[in-house]
This record gives sequence, C-alpha cells and structure tokens, in this order.
Amino acid sequence: MAAICRIFVLMLGLLLVKPATSSAQTTKYKCMIQMTNYMGEGAYMVISIIDPKGKYDKTLYVLGSDKKWYPDIKEWHKAFAKKPANISAITGASVAGGDRTVSIIDIDNAKVNAGYKLRFESAVEDKKYYVNDLEIPLTTESLAAKSEGTGYIRYVRFSANN
Amino acid sequence: MTISIWRYSHLLLAVSSSLLLVLASVTGIILAFEPVLEKQQPYRPADFEQITLADALPVLKKSFPDISELSVDHNQFVVTKASDEEGKNLTAYIDPKTGNVLGKPSGQSEFFQTVTTLHRSLFYHEAGRFLMGLTAFLLFLIAVSGTILIIQRQRGLKRFFTRIVKENSAQYYHVTLGRLSLIIILIIALTGTYLSVIRFELLPTKVLSPDVDPDAIRTKPALSLSDLPVFKNTRLADVQTIAFPFSEDAEDYYTLKLNDREITVNQVTGDILTESLYPTALVVSQLSLNLHTGRTNTVWALILAIASANILFFIYSGFAITLKRRGKRVKNQYTADESRFIILVGSENGSTYRFAQLVHQQLVQRGEKAWLAELNSYRTYPKAEHLIILTSTYGLGDAPTNAAKFESLLATVSQPNPLRYSVVGFGSTAYPDFCKFAFDIHNRLEQQPRATPLVDVHTVNDKSLAEFSLWTKAWAQQAGIPIEVATETLTLDPATLDTLQVTAHSAADANDDTFLIRLKTTSAVPVTSGDLLAIYPAGDHRERLYSIGVLGDAIQLSVRLHPGGLGSGFLHRLTTGETIRARIVSNPHFHFPVNTPAVVMISNGTGIAPFLGMISQNIAQTPCYLYCGFRNQASLDLYQPFLDQQLATQRLDTLSVALSREGEKQYVSDLITRDHTLIGRVLAEGGVLMLCGSLAMQKDVLAILDTISQARTGQAVSYYQSRNQIRTDCY
Repeated sequence: MAAICRIFVLMLGLLLVKPATSSAQTTKYKCMIQMTNYMGEGAYMVISIIDPKGKYDKTLYVLGSDKKWYPDIKEWHKAFAKKPANISAITGASVAGGDRTVSIIDIDNAKVNAGYKLRFESAVEDKKYYVNDLEIPLTTESLAAKSEGTGYIRYVRFSANN
Repeated sequence: MTISIWRYSHLLLAVSSSLLLVLASVTGIILAFEPVLEKQQPYRPADFEQITLADALPVLKKSFPDISELSVDHNQFVVTKASDEEGKNLTAYIDPKTGNVLGKPSGQSEFFQTVTTLHRSLFYHEAGRFLMGLTAFLLFLIAVSGTILIIQRQRGLKRFFTRIVKENSAQYYHVTLGRLSLIIILIIALTGTYLSVIRFELLPTKVLSPDVDPDAIRTKPALSLSDLPVFKNTRLADVQTIAFPFSEDAEDYYTLKLNDREITVNQVTGDILTESLYPTALVVSQLSLNLHTGRTNTVWALILAIASANILFFIYSGFAITLKRRGKRVKNQYTADESRFIILVGSENGSTYRFAQLVHQQLVQRGEKAWLAELNSYRTYPKAEHLIILTSTYGLGDAPTNAAKFESLLATVSQPNPLRYSVVGFGSTAYPDFCKFAFDIHNRLEQQPRATPLVDVHTVNDKSLAEFSLWTKAWAQQAGIPIEVATETLTLDPATLDTLQVTAHSAADANDDTFLIRLKTTSAVPVTSGDLLAIYPAGDHRERLYSIGVLGDAIQLSVRLHPGGLGSGFLHRLTTGETIRARIVSNPHFHFPVNTPAVVMISNGTGIAPFLGMISQNIAQTPCYLYCGFRNQASLDLYQPFLDQQLATQRLDTLSVALSREGEKQYVSDLITRDHTLIGRVLAEGGVLMLCGSLAMQKDVLAILDTISQARTGQAVSYYQSRNQIRTDCY
C-alpha cells in the first residue's frame, strides 16, 4: 500500500514539474488587438498557431468565455472538438467593436521562423465568420510589425513581454 | 363607447403577449437578484467618489508595470488587466489606492447567464430578441391602456389616486396594484423596448472616434503621470474604461472611455488628442440598461423584482376578471319574439348579470317564457308584457357600455303591447352618482305612452342580496309570480317570524275604505319608520308588504281595503288583542334622514303611514313639510287630529293637503308646482324629498321635480335620486 502511495506521489510530482521545464523554451508576447467600428455584439476570437501543413498546432488565446458560442468559430471548433485542451488559463473576454484588448500569449521559440503561422479567427453573433481575419507568418519580423486584419480586426501589434 | 375600445385593447394586448410576459417576468424576478448578490462582494473601494486618475494611475502603474486596461464596472468595482510576476494574464479587482489585488472576477455565473439569455432572446438569437422586444413594447401599450382605464374609472386624472371601491378582490387588486406599480412597469417596458431598438441598430450608438494625427503628437513638455492635468480633473467614478498605451513610445496614447465621452490622451504631455461625445442614443441606452437591470442600485433592483411579480399577478387577475365576465354570457331558451318577460341588463363588468340570471332562471322554472339580453339590444317584443331592467351605472352617472344605446333606441322603437316595467339599479353608495343611470331609465320609461311601472325603482348597494330581495318581493307581489333570491326558500319558515299583537284598529272609513291598524311586537325587534312589515295572510309563501310608521312603541299601518284584497282583507278582519306572525324588513333607504337641512314629505292616500311615524319622532325639529293628497275630507279626518298635534309641537312645519274629489279637486302634484320655490331651495341646499304613495303620483311628482331642478340647478331629477336626496317608496 505504502509503495503504491509513493509511486502515486512521484507521478504527481513529475506531472507538476513537466510544464515548468517545457516553458523554458517559450517567450511571452503582449498582443494588442484593435477592433474596427463594426456594429453588433462583442466578437469571439481565437489566436492559434498553424503548422506548416495548415493544421491547428496550438491554441494561444481565446477571447470570449461563453462556450455556447464556440461552435460559431467553426474551423477552430472542429479541430478543438477533436483534440480537447484545457483553455481556462488562456481565456479572456470577448471584444466589442472599436475596442482594443491586450492579451499575453506564450509562443514556443522553436516554432518561430519555422514555417508556422499565427491565425486570428473571429465570429460575431448573427454576423459573418472570418476563418482568416488575420493570418501572418510566425516570424521575428511579423512579431515586430503592425498587421492589418480583414474582418473585425483593424490591426494587431506585438511586443515581447519581459 | 371609448371605454370599451380601451378595455378591448387592454385585453387583446394582454392575451397576445401573456405567455412571453410570464416568461419575461419570472426570469426578470430572478435576474433582479443578480445585482443584489453582486453588490454583496467587498470590492468597492472606500471613498470611491473622491479618487482621481492622478491618484490612482501612478499607484497602478507601479504595482502592474504592464497594465493594459482598467475598467470600472456598474458596481464601481475596479478591474485591471495586466500580467502577474510570472508574466501570465491577470485580470483582477484591485484597490486603486494601494494597488492590492482584492479578488478575481468570476464572470457571470452559468445560471444567471442562462436566465439572461432566456429573458433576452428565448435562446432564439435574433428572432427571440425581436419577440422579447415586441413583448416589451406590448407591455408598454398595456400599461398605457391600463392607465387610461384607471383614469376613466376614477373619473379624471385628478382623482387618479382616490379610493377604489372594493367590489371583488381580483378586480380591486388589479386596479389598486396597477396604480402603484404603473410608473415602474412603464419604465421596464420602455427601457426594454429601447434596448431592443438599439440592439437592432435602429439608432446610431457608435462612437465615431476621430483618428489621431501622429504628426500632432508632441513629446514636450514631459510631465509625470501624477501631474497630467486631465487626470487630475477626472475621477474614477467618471470612467468606464482606460486603455493604457501599448508602449512607452509617445505615439501610443491613453484611450479613456468616460461616462459621456471618449478621449485620447498623450502619455507624455497629457494633451487631449481627440475627444468625441457619445451620441444621445448611446447615453440613453446606458441609462436604459441601468434602469432595466437595476445593476447600479440594489434598492432599484428589488423594486424591479416586485414590479415583475406584480406583472405576474396582473396576468392572473386580469384573466380571472375576464373569465368571470365571459362566464356571464346569456343563454336563452326562448326567443325574444315569443317571450312574455323581457329582462334587459346594463353592466360594465358583468356582475349585474348574476342577478339578471337569477330572475331569468326563476321565471323559466315557473314555466314562463323569458328572454335575457343586454340593454343595447332593445327592440320590439311582440308578446312581451313585462320589462325588467337591471343596470349598473358607469363613470359620472353614465350608461354602462352595453346600455349606451338604450336611450336612443327607446325613442325610436315602439312596442306593440303595453309593457309593465320595473327598473333595478346596481351600484355602490361609495360613488356619488349611485344608480343614476337606473333612475334615468326609470324616468325616461315613465314618459313612454305604452309603459307603466309595475313597482318603484329599486337600488342595490354593493350587490346586497337583502336589498335585491326587497325588489323581488315587491315585484313578485305585483306581478303575481313568486320569484325569490337564492338565499331564501319558497316555504315559509315560522322561526324567522315575529309575533305581533293588534293594539288598536279603526273601522274602515265609510267614504274611503281606509283604516289604521296598530301592532306591537312581543319581542324587542328594532324597527324604524319607513321599514316594511311583511305579512303572510294565507300562511303560505304569499307575502304582502306594508310601510311602517312607528308611533311611540307601536307600529302603525295605514291600509286601504281592496275588495277581495288578500292582505288588506286579512288586516281588516283582525280585532284588537289578536296576534299575527309577520316579519319586519329593514328598509334603510327610506328612513328619516339625519343631519339634513330640511325634509319634504310627499304622499297620497295611505302613503302617509311612514311619514306619521317620522314626524312624531322629529324631536330635533328638522324643518319638515308635509304634502299629502287624499280623495276627500273624510279620509283626511283619520289623520287630522294627529297632524294638528305635530304642528303645535313644531315637529311638522307646514301641512299642505290636496283633495282630489272635493273642493278645488287638486292633486298633490299641483301643490308641488305651487311651492316650486320651496322645493327647489330644499334640493339646492341638500335637503331631502321623500315620496310615498302610488306610482302614478310618483310619476307626476318626479316630472314636476325634474322641471324644477332643471330650472334651478340644471340637473336632472335623477341626479338627486342618485344622491339619495329624493327617496321614493311607491307601489
């Protein structure tokens, strides 16, 4: 019995330690999204990393906390439904037209300048859904520039957070 | 007629929106508790109203160097968005004076979120929002039509908050609570409608922020955060959100959304770069949201909850009233053409129908052909002999909706047969125009050539069965058809009768067949002059009523002997010392008035009986004038000694006698015409006229009184009848 307990505690310890080791290779960025002056409800948006094959690699941030509307962000929801992940730590409020929001996102250093892309996907209740409101290559350059959106997003800016 | 348009729309609107209104009210009550619960949380900074941005921002900037956003919610909790020591997103309630984290916003609970969606859109998105917005607008229309109904019911805006008579509880509370919560319901409805209008972008609420011109951004003079003038002049209480500059570069600036405008501020110099006032539609929309949800004030939120609960009650009581009214729909077995008895009803809310149906049922049960309809359907009735009208009064002595056309129909429709009619008025003495419409109809019918009254007009106060039974007795006696109100049985119950002993009996007068009989009760039964004595001459259900005059401790009846008369023959045969079984029926409407400037008594024949008792008890010496008519001097002789005595003791001021078959051959109505100045004055002063005698006499006298009062005060005689200033007890 005692042996089982010990193993259990050890496994628990390993589980807790693991994220700390992996986070060593990531960089935090402040990401500011400025919205256009569209009319309607607050936009639900997802920031994801897309791998070189065009598949969802990782969800960086979800703007909008009510799960009820997640199916509206169609493509991401499809992928997300297959591969559920705990996103409560990277979820913020939805953003209304004309507003701006700053989120902090964790980007794996290995994925920068390696053919990955950053995708900003957006949906507003009873309005158009943009699978690619903004999609930029995940490069050092684009992480330093201001990028214009095509849907509800006017532009996005980043700055390394340190 | 306008009243019914408002009532129908009130009902129609309520029916069409009731389901959604129930849903909105129930969810509304629940949602009202959300702000109440929220405000229990200890996140509101002390002295919040005094804190300026120049106080708060340097503190926050120090505690959270990468703060990106600050917002002040409707609870005046301050929320910041920044990152914690590990660089993770941090959204927290903070104390703006210390920079301490007080707690983390938990977001709207799942429960309230679901209820809110249900309240707002029924889970049907746009379509649902439209329906709920429409429901709010219908609620507004219901409140408006309800207000108009109350104004009409209370006879004027000024009397909006005067007392409401409690007739039946659903109706009473519907109106009473309606008045109290009216304003709040109007606010709920209007703000709800407005929020929907805003939601569908029918009004411009977007803040059009001008673009900042990068070339105009100065970098000098650089001031410290706590010295920027605009921050010194702006309090946290004025702020909705502040977006911090994304970097320390001068071309990144502060964006402040205040309560009434949006400004951008140079982070180095504190210059205001752009400023745009919110459109009125947006300001109103924020106000509407605060008023509709009660999110800024616990007390208001609770008031909204109570008002929502009231809406539920209105839906319940409104339908209860309607169902009750519908239940009173008429069911006739016979047609109007074949019926001998025509019962017509004037009723605003249907309660008078209950009485009419009682009469209708009784007649039909007795094998009579009777027709029941509303007064507005008055037409020719080929086989009719009896017309019975039961009506209430609406507003300022006006006709109820379903009787409004009756008076004009009366002028155009002529009946093939002579009709004997009887009018019963229903109402409440709490209103000034008690049964005025009934008096009006009665007086109008008297002018009809082919209509004769069967009994005097009767009134029923507050649906009193006792008063209604007085009419049924009088009518049954005259029509010869025993009808009874439901509370009584047709068999005679001896236990309810009193025993009376004959103490004096005058022999029938040789010329006039009139005699006086005095009786004494053997037990202490309260009796007042003007009450009625019900006797049962044959010991069966047949009842005869006589007006009582109380003289000392004796009851005096004045009776005319009819050949073969059931009641008069019975009384005539009685001898002194004999006892009879009878019942005293209280008739308070014909009692001697108290606190009145003057009383005029008008009688003919034996109608003098109650007045004899009243005069003898006029110890207070209220000015009292008696006009009485008799056939001849011999009939007067019976009363002369008594009346002389009353004149001597000043219990009676004047005595005027008209003799119809001797001397000047006058009727009592001629005396009234002669003394019109006195009569007019008594009416104008608020004095009381009492009439007792035959219906023919009443008809003549009322016609003269109408002329007198029209000339003197411009009011119809029914005005005084409805105010109890003209009281009649005729047969």
